[in-house]
Amino acid sequence: MKRLARLRVLGQMAWRNLFNHKAKNTAVGLLMAFGAFLVVVGSSTLDSIERAMTRSVTGSVAGHLQVYDQNARDQLAMFGGGFMGAPDIGTIPDFGRVKSTLMQVDNVKAVIPMGIDIAEFYTQTELDQAIESLRKALDARDEDRVARMEHKIRAMAKLMDEERQNRRKIARNKAEVDQQLADIRHIASDAFWEGLRRDPVAGVTTLDTKLAPLVDEAEGNGMQYIGTDLDAFVKSFDRFELVQGSLVPSGHRGMLVNQHFYDNQLRNAVARMFDDLKKELREDGKTIAGDPLVQNLVKRMVRQYRRVTFQLEPEEAKALEGELRTLMPDAEGNLDDLVQALLDVDDRSFDTHYAFFQEHVVPRIQLYLYDIGDVITIRVFTRSGYPKSVNLKVYGTFTFRGLEESILAGAHNLMDIMTFRDLYGVMTDEKRAELAEIKASVGLADVKAEDAEDALFGEDSEVAATPLPEAGSFDELAELKRAAKAGAARDETFTQADVDGGLALNAAILLKDPSRLEETWGALYGASAQAKLGLQVVDWRLATGMIGQFVSLAGAVLYIALIIIFIVAIFIMNNTMVMATIERATEIGTMRAIGSRRLFILGLFFSETLMLGVVAGVLGGLAGYGFMSYLGSAGIPAPSDELILLFSGPRLFPTVDGGQVVSALILIVIVSLVATLFPAWMATRIQPIVAMQAKE
Amino acid sequence: MDAIVALNQVVKDYPLGKLTVQALRGVDLTIAPGEFTVIAGPSGSGKTTLLNMIGCVDVPTTGSVTVAGQRTSALRDRARAKLRLEKLGFIFQTFNLIPVLSAAQNVEFPLLLDGRLGKRERQRRVAELLDQVGLSAQARQRPNELSGGQRQRVAIARALVTDPAIVLADEPTANLDSVTGLAIIDLMKDLNRRRNTTFIFSTHDEHVMAHARRMVHIADGVISDDRVLEPTPTPTYDAAVA
Repeated sequence: MKRLARLRVLGQMAWRNLFNHKAKNTAVGLLMAFGAFLVVVGSSTLDSIERAMTRSVTGSVAGHLQVYDQNARDQLAMFGGGFMGAPDIGTIPDFGRVKSTLMQVDNVKAVIPMGIDIAEFYTQTELDQAIESLRKALDARDEDRVARMEHKIRAMAKLMDEERQNRRKIARNKAEVDQQLADIRHIASDAFWEGLRRDPVAGVTTLDTKLAPLVDEAEGNGMQYIGTDLDAFVKSFDRFELVQGSLVPSGHRGMLVNQHFYDNQLRNAVARMFDDLKKELREDGKTIAGDPLVQNLVKRMVRQYRRVTFQLEPEEAKALEGELRTLMPDAEGNLDDLVQALLDVDDRSFDTHYAFFQEHVVPRIQLYLYDIGDVITIRVFTRSGYPKSVNLKVYGTFTFRGLEESILAGAHNLMDIMTFRDLYGVMTDEKRAELAEIKASVGLADVKAEDAEDALFGEDSEVAATPLPEAGSFDELAELKRAAKAGAARDETFTQADVDGGLALNAAILLKDPSRLEETWGALYGASAQAKLGLQVVDWRLATGMIGQFVSLAGAVLYIALIIIFIVAIFIMNNTMVMATIERATEIGTMRAIGSRRLFILGLFFSETLMLGVVAGVLGGLAGYGFMSYLGSAGIPAPSDELILLFSGPRLFPTVDGGQVVSALILIVIVSLVATLFPAWMATRIQPIVAMQAKE
Repeated sequence: MDAIVALNQVVKDYPLGKLTVQALRGVDLTIAPGEFTVIAGPSGSGKTTLLNMIGCVDVPTTGSVTVAGQRTSALRDRARAKLRLEKLGFIFQTFNLIPVLSAAQNVEFPLLLDGRLGKRERQRRVAELLDQVGLSAQARQRPNELSGGQRQRVAIARALVTDPAIVLADEPTANLDSVTGLAIIDLMKDLNRRRNTTFIFSTHDEHVMAHARRMVHIADGVISDDRVLEPTPTPTYDAAVA
């Protein structure tokens, strides 16, 4: 009871001292409150990002865990991470064994084979399309269409003429360019087209052999793809969503293109830029007049006008010209000028021009480089170094829910794993036989590297003795055969056993209960080691690449920042309290003189800090709670593409809970008590004599 | 009667830069219980140092100070705090009340530190002393709501609440006007007589000195004069509460 009374007066004194030393306590309290606020905001944001990222990464392509070759040279990075092309992560030669072994492990829901690679794909050039169309028109004796194609091809020839003239100025081999110019001019002449109508086959062949090869292969585009078990992929990754077209039927080869990639890489540049502009103006609230970057976008769009005009056939062009004149009665010039005027929008004309473009231009042009249902040619250099092409049907487009806007997530296209293996350069028995046949036919013998010198230069050199085949005797034919096979490949079907029984680069593992990830990780390692699969198991954070480690990095940055802030705060608080202690020396000396023990003084100081810490911590923590709750309903916009992936969408809606406020409070109180150690110790050293010396 | 305070050849040196200042240079002094003694002398004469020795907030360089039978230099900090708490009461020149506590709480404060008395007894004593210093009506006021004289009365009540053997007052009237100062001395003198508490106070105010019953004059660190002005009366109110 008596001790209680002493504690009560201690508490009362401490509490009243809070208000008696307002300047000091306001400064220190604000610091503490700010600290608590930061802790709540920081931990809530990080936790929310981690949750969002778990959702987007595990539900799109990474799964909860990934396994790959334990001797891999590089680290697996599902969302990029390496600076130079695809990282070398080794291979899983027999995926079937991995799948059957790992599926035995408790809590494993699915094991999905994967292989990420980059390839070039080709579609027909506009000239190819025009020549094809001309051929059909000639077959059908459709004179109208022949005339349209003649117009189009001659227009292209004229542009190529200009381009070659420019090239001639810098060309080293001018004779070659002169020959090309002669060919182009011949094709642009009336005589050629008269001749073509008399002998269509010869004419079209000339176009195919003389004109078509002069078009640079500018239409080869890069794309990234994941070869996988498409059925299992679609079933297991809950963020997957088909947008257009259909899924690739089971057992068939085919591709699904990422909608983001489709819209941004494959769409007509003018149409895409017009939509980008609309987003800037209507969603982000910018103006053309007020933002130089938006002005630049308009300028770039205007420069691309040919992407519209080139695609128009004569009557269409005429119709559009008329419509453009109605829209812009004051505009002068030809169709090129009119289209440029249409694209050169300002803040006032944007809406009408945009609507006009959608209504009158879009239906007349080919909006995408290829359409859903088209077959594209994909070419890669296989691991063994030779080029390899396959033709593959694009069945549909898809997106990862919440990540529609993310470039990182939008870069992944999906392909059946059988095609992936072909492109990767897996040797099937059939291919080995073919290769042996070729080797035999050209008289090549296998030479070990260490014997190479001897084989080449030794006295019994077999290599030199073998007669070389005549140049060109096998090359083109073999290529044609292979191409025909590749073309036919898309019609083959395969079984689940085919999918499982082959190579993969890595495999995604999805869990029944994601909260038991750590435990399952260990179990998978154990199972893999026991079966001597030679695999390493990494969690999704590590498997994602640099971006996946962002959360850990951001956490480290936050904690370091907090530690620095707290160290600074401890110094400031310490300093402030030392000053206050000196000011209160008489009061403390008096208490000591009239019989207080040092412990009482210590208790007083810590009580004051404790109360201030609790009050400031609660206020700061609640402010943080309020702030995060507000953000939780308003959302934090993702300022960059990487953050869309982290935020699992264009906005992060963070959540905050009482636990974070309580942790912040505890942390703040501890920090405050640490800051009080020295001033409190100093106060206990104040001698009672100080009270006697006080003079006013 | 045994001496309550006994100083024997007390010397106190203070370092002052490289020099050593000798504040006390061999002081012998004995004070009996119930005395009302003034330590007089000009500034710098050593009277505050002498009071500090008696008040156990300082120890002599050489010589011995015995307070209530205990030799102070032999005690540890904690024991000296206990001695101060139980045997001594302090009145300061600048009152030194705890600003955040009310008048009554300031008076109660030493009792709380002591911790031996129950709530009811504490309240009785606080009420009694506030009544004796004439501040019953101001019990709940904070120091900054009181006048200088009222604050010093609270300080006197606080000094007496533990019923100490000795009350020490260092220039208790220096911050008060002369009328209030004399009233405070009268109050101290009255309490000295009624409670038989030994009062030792310092001053350089001659009007205040005149109210003492014994005057010890100190100059240059030694006692230059020591005389009884009026005899210590028989206590009218014994320390029955003790």
